[in-house]
Amino acid sequence: MSTIELLFALLKGLRVTLTVAFFAIALAFVLSFVVGFGRLSKIKFIRAISTIYVEVIRGTSLLVQLFWIYFALPIIGIRMTAMMAGIIALGLNGGAYGSEIVRSSIISVPVGQTEASIALNFTPRQRMWRIILPQAFVMMLPGFGNLQIEILKGTALVSLITLGDLTYRANVINASTMETTKIFTILLLIYFLIAWPMTRGIEWIEKKLTVGRY
Amino acid sequence: MKENILVKYNDIHKSYGDLEVLKGINLGIHEGEKVALIGPSGSGKTTLARLLMTLEEPTKGTIEVDGKLLWHEEVNGKLQRASEKHLHEVRGNIGMVFQHFHLFPHMTVLENVMEAPISVLGMKKEDAKKDAQEMLDKVGLIDKVDTYPAQLSGGQKQRVAIARALVMRPKIMIFDEPTSALDPELVGEVLDVIKDIAKEGKMGMLLITHEMDFAMDIADRVVFFDEGIILEQGPPKELLNNPKTERLQTFLSRFMNAN
Amino acid sequence: MWDWSFALEILPEIVSALKITISATFAGFAVALVLGLILTLLRRSDKVIISKAAQGFIEFIRNTPILVQLYFIFYVFPEFGLSLSPFAAGVVGLGLHYSTYLSEVYRSGIDAVPQGQWEVGTALNFSKTQIWTKIIIPQAVPPVVPVLGNYLLTMFKETPLLSAITLVEILQTAKIIGSRSFRYLEAFSIVGLLFLLLSYPSSLLIQRLDKKLNRR
Repeated sequence: MSTIELLFALLKGLRVTLTVAFFAIALAFVLSFVVGFGRLSKIKFIRAISTIYVEVIRGTSLLVQLFWIYFALPIIGIRMTAMMAGIIALGLNGGAYGSEIVRSSIISVPVGQTEASIALNFTPRQRMWRIILPQAFVMMLPGFGNLQIEILKGTALVSLITLGDLTYRANVINASTMETTKIFTILLLIYFLIAWPMTRGIEWIEKKLTVGRY
Repeated sequence: MKENILVKYNDIHKSYGDLEVLKGINLGIHEGEKVALIGPSGSGKTTLARLLMTLEEPTKGTIEVDGKLLWHEEVNGKLQRASEKHLHEVRGNIGMVFQHFHLFPHMTVLENVMEAPISVLGMKKEDAKKDAQEMLDKVGLIDKVDTYPAQLSGGQKQRVAIARALVMRPKIMIFDEPTSALDPELVGEVLDVIKDIAKEGKMGMLLITHEMDFAMDIADRVVFFDEGIILEQGPPKELLNNPKTERLQTFLSRFMNAN
Repeated sequence: MWDWSFALEILPEIVSALKITISATFAGFAVALVLGLILTLLRRSDKVIISKAAQGFIEFIRNTPILVQLYFIFYVFPEFGLSLSPFAAGVVGLGLHYSTYLSEVYRSGIDAVPQGQWEVGTALNFSKTQIWTKIIIPQAVPPVVPVLGNYLLTMFKETPLLSAITLVEILQTAKIIGSRSFRYLEAFSIVGLLFLLLSYPSSLLIQRLDKKLNRR
């Protein structure tokens, strides 16, 4: 197989990789905020639930979570496609780490900002949405940038539950052509070429949002 | 002086754990009256102001603002801790300028001043803008409207903070050591702005400061605080020239020596 | 659905595979500690080419999946005459991947020592080595020890990936049990619980260590 042919064969898996990454990142993003706020809730029960979720996910391993969702859940009647399992496992995992980013950013907005907004008689909701969150969000960006990359890299794991992503394709082609060096070198390069612009993109946004303000 | 009492502290206590920083304060402030709180650091002045701004809750006692209880409200004839709604309503009478400015770093100077009138008072954007511009003109910063706070000097930041508090038209404004965080050469510009506002007369002031000359100049009444109680109060000249307690004499002499 | 007697029956088999998981973790961590230090020093090199190359290497490793890196080490290295056992390949892969993160940790530790400390060292006429060993390292290390601890835990939780290159650690053991008995629920749940049981208390310990070391 020529290098070009190899490349095209591999790229068939790109769509799967990007789909899983996109939906997992979206799910993780939403969960990060829901759980991040949950951990700061005034209601003890919500705090407890959020904390348990975060600690259980962070205390176990992504691949174990993926296998558990894909292989073990069907036994108690919850069945889903490999794609769904991949998205949910990566999203749940990312959400746990992301919620820490949200929580720590919110609590690191200086207390004076809250005091000033009380003095100006903003309602609690306005304080959060107009004053605290815009500042916290800028602090979250580097963390979310890293999280995106971690999730993208994590999508390679779905190849282990037989989903045809880039890594899965590489293994299949490797088994039939034995052009091992070429295949895995190209595979690494493809991942790098997806991740690199994502990293740079987040840095660019961060710069745009902070220039002259902090 | 008008006889309407705007703010009334009734037997206010405040403790942090075992440490009691306010030990039963009774103090009334008339509408439009300028009261300066002086005293050593840690004497409880700032806490007294923060209680009025609802940044901290009294351990015991009540505060009345414009005839309404601030931290409490009556529900079915029983006194309860005030709801957020009640606090919101009463708090509208009060404004505050902080030692460390606390400008919103993600907003321009103009946005800093416009935000609260729009979202709290429900003003139209154009009206809020006009009002904010007038106020910024008054504090001498009309050329900085589109700047972000990070690019301002300390003195400029504090003047923006004053404008931001003023546009809310509070009946009484708290100044919590407004010049303590400033480089010495920037103190004057902020004091001048506060003096100008004081001369206009309508708005009451609760002024915490270590700038003694300034306090004596603008205050109708000076209140001397020490270890959580009011030790002496009266018109500035009387207090300055004729301190009755030894504590005040020591306190004043330290300032006279320093200058 | 959940079969307690089956769970108890397979528990010893899974627990015994923990030996592999834990030794891979520590061996990988040791590799990462050393490689990370080398990368840090290369990055501080005065020669721009060397520091740029180190930087590029770090970026590349951090922006590609560790699973693919493991495949690369396990399947591609033999093409160049370097055949590694699954365990050795796993340790090298884990160590290599996390060395790039640890080099960042070292760097932040060193950067956090105020510039004045270097100047004081020079003013007191310390040699370059003395400045490093007597002034910089004693200040740079304690703040980052808990961070290193957290990376040790992260690596521990990454070891199940080594099952992909046929290492029979705890996840692979559970998978074998699952495919043998068609009962995945107990096997995978036990693996998850074991990870939680080991890593959660450790993370609490690290938090305490952090408070103790960094209360200055």
